[in-house]
Amino acid sequence: MLNETLRALCELPGVSGSEQTVRDYILSEISDYADCHVDPLGNLIAQKKGKQRPKVRVMLDAHMDEVGLIITFIDEDGRLHFSSVGGIETAVLFQRRVRFGRHSGVIGGKPIHLTEKEAAKKLPDPDSLTIDIGARNKAEAEGLVSVGDVGYLDGPFDTLGDDLLLARAIDDRAGCAVLIELIKQPAEYDFCAVFSVQEEVGARGARVAAFSLKPDAAIILEATTAADIADIPAEQQVCRLGDGPAVSFMDRSTLYDRAFYDAAIKSGIPCQPKAAVAGGNNAGSVHLAGEGVRTLAISLPCRYLHSPSCVASRKDLENMRILARYMLDAIASGAVE
Amino acid sequence: MTDFKTLLFSLSEAVGIGGQSAASDLAAEVLSPYAAVSRGPGLTVVGRMKGRSDHTILLDAHLDEIGMVVTAVGENGFLKVAAAGGLDLRTLPARPVTVWGRRPVPAVFCSTPPHLAKGEESFDDIAKLSIDTGLGPAASQLVSPGDFVTFRQAPAELSGGRVTGKAFDDRASCACLIEVAKRLSEAEALPCNVILLLSDQEELGLRGAKTAGFRLRPDEAIAVDVSFGDGPGVAPHQCGKLGSGAMIGLSPTLDQGITNRLRQLASAKQIPFQPEAIGGATSTNADAISLAGEGVPCGLISIPLRNMHTPVEVIDLADCKSVCDLLAAYVLSGGNKHAE
Repeated sequence: MLNETLRALCELPGVSGSEQTVRDYILSEISDYADCHVDPLGNLIAQKKGKQRPKVRVMLDAHMDEVGLIITFIDEDGRLHFSSVGGIETAVLFQRRVRFGRHSGVIGGKPIHLTEKEAAKKLPDPDSLTIDIGARNKAEAEGLVSVGDVGYLDGPFDTLGDDLLLARAIDDRAGCAVLIELIKQPAEYDFCAVFSVQEEVGARGARVAAFSLKPDAAIILEATTAADIADIPAEQQVCRLGDGPAVSFMDRSTLYDRAFYDAAIKSGIPCQPKAAVAGGNNAGSVHLAGEGVRTLAISLPCRYLHSPSCVASRKDLENMRILARYMLDAIASGAVE
Repeated sequence: MTDFKTLLFSLSEAVGIGGQSAASDLAAEVLSPYAAVSRGPGLTVVGRMKGRSDHTILLDAHLDEIGMVVTAVGENGFLKVAAAGGLDLRTLPARPVTVWGRRPVPAVFCSTPPHLAKGEESFDDIAKLSIDTGLGPAASQLVSPGDFVTFRQAPAELSGGRVTGKAFDDRASCACLIEVAKRLSEAEALPCNVILLLSDQEELGLRGAKTAGFRLRPDEAIAVDVSFGDGPGVAPHQCGKLGSGAMIGLSPTLDQGITNRLRQLASAKQIPFQPEAIGGATSTNADAISLAGEGVPCGLISIPLRNMHTPVEVIDLADCKSVCDLLAAYVLSGGNKHAE
């Protein structure tokens, strides 16, 4: 069920600021299982009833948005100039297929045959890249798209080997899929779930949601970089696919609650430390909300994050669901001091 | 041209490199109603159509595509590859591919994680890149050195009759030749014999056309390929313009009679065309066929194409129509034999 939900979510467009399609899908999945409302920024907030009232009120967060592109200018030749929405490496922009609503396009460039040998070793300046949607001139392009439209890098959904998934937007539809499953299952304790907007542009949605909900504790469900790939030494791999979800002790925006971290690591459920101080997520906003919120982050290890070809493990996804449920109950019961 | 687009898309998605012959199988199948088809060596497909005279015109387009070949299978399911054709290494990170092992294996090129990126990455050696099969140690049971790898990219329609996909270089020309064969088969009689050569190993140095040209010994030949289309960073003098018609090659290495005949026909029949002047060798199969055996007079027609040798090549279907119109008119007028 988790895998089917993730696939459905990964196939939806949801660039930061345009999360409506993802939100509508999630709402249709969970509205029978929780009280739902949408806040002023577009966060979908679900109040789930459990068998008991919690000693510690827990908020779970997963972000609906993904990185993408926004059209900034349409030139006389009908080419679309763009900015990235969130962090995208130039290496995954050059010579790629993109999608803007119903329209396919490509980010092209000078062919290798015409590129000088030295220049061919370096990526082009990202500002020089433009999108070709087939328009012959500005007027034709303006009949199809407008400045301000957002799109995304297109990629296939598939299985690699026995266990791995290839997909775009695993960051953070993985977290959304886990959170949907937690809401659909009977809960021991009441909790609130936030499907947040605008994580990729500064963890903005979760900031206001945490302010509104004023939880005692928070669990951020995320995807994080796994560098367990060829030619990378073990000490630089951060986390490994198949070793369970990654639990953060510290990243660029958060020093995580140590008791939560220890409880997760010692849970007996397959998981691993996120073994690097790198990146950041909604925890950075949530743990500083109001008077402060004790925060835990559980992330799905994911190779080639922020590319249209993310790779992650289905086994890890299932263990992420199990660990999230375990930590939710442990924290809500007051068992984690 | 709806059928043409369907044919182009099917040819684009099919694999044609090394021993992987799906594109060749498909081309042979769709060509066979119109011409007597023979196959081999490799991907080569030859279609013969009889005419009223002994004069034989050969039309060539290459079936092979660029890709990679596996050189090493690592313990954890990561592969090393060498280039098979002119690759732009900068386009490879996080690129979905298919590894043609004992079964087709979906895979993706590794990309450097942001926390390990040290300044500007230098794309100077394909050995620095790896392919992730996700198979772990089981990879060695499915994949071996020598297996080929191709880009995985479904074709798509852009706006205004423009389309994008992989291997339009040179399946777009293959689709044109098949379309031409269809039209010629509908003619009452052909003034001369026609050989349709869908050749192999162009991307490795015009090799297929070299041997096929020797074997087939036509009286004249036209190579059909793609050439640089207008796009970002490409100067007007380096390229043709998408939508402006068939590019007719003008080069000291090409036969002036054929070239002039093509231009005359295009003008007379109002087929959109644009000249492509080249100082010498054309880097197409015309270079190889013209030197086959005792020599073969050659012409060159090209489809302007953007983003050559990437999975996001772009062409205008109107240009394919111009190419088909011009080739059909050329053959039906008897080629260059009676032109003087």
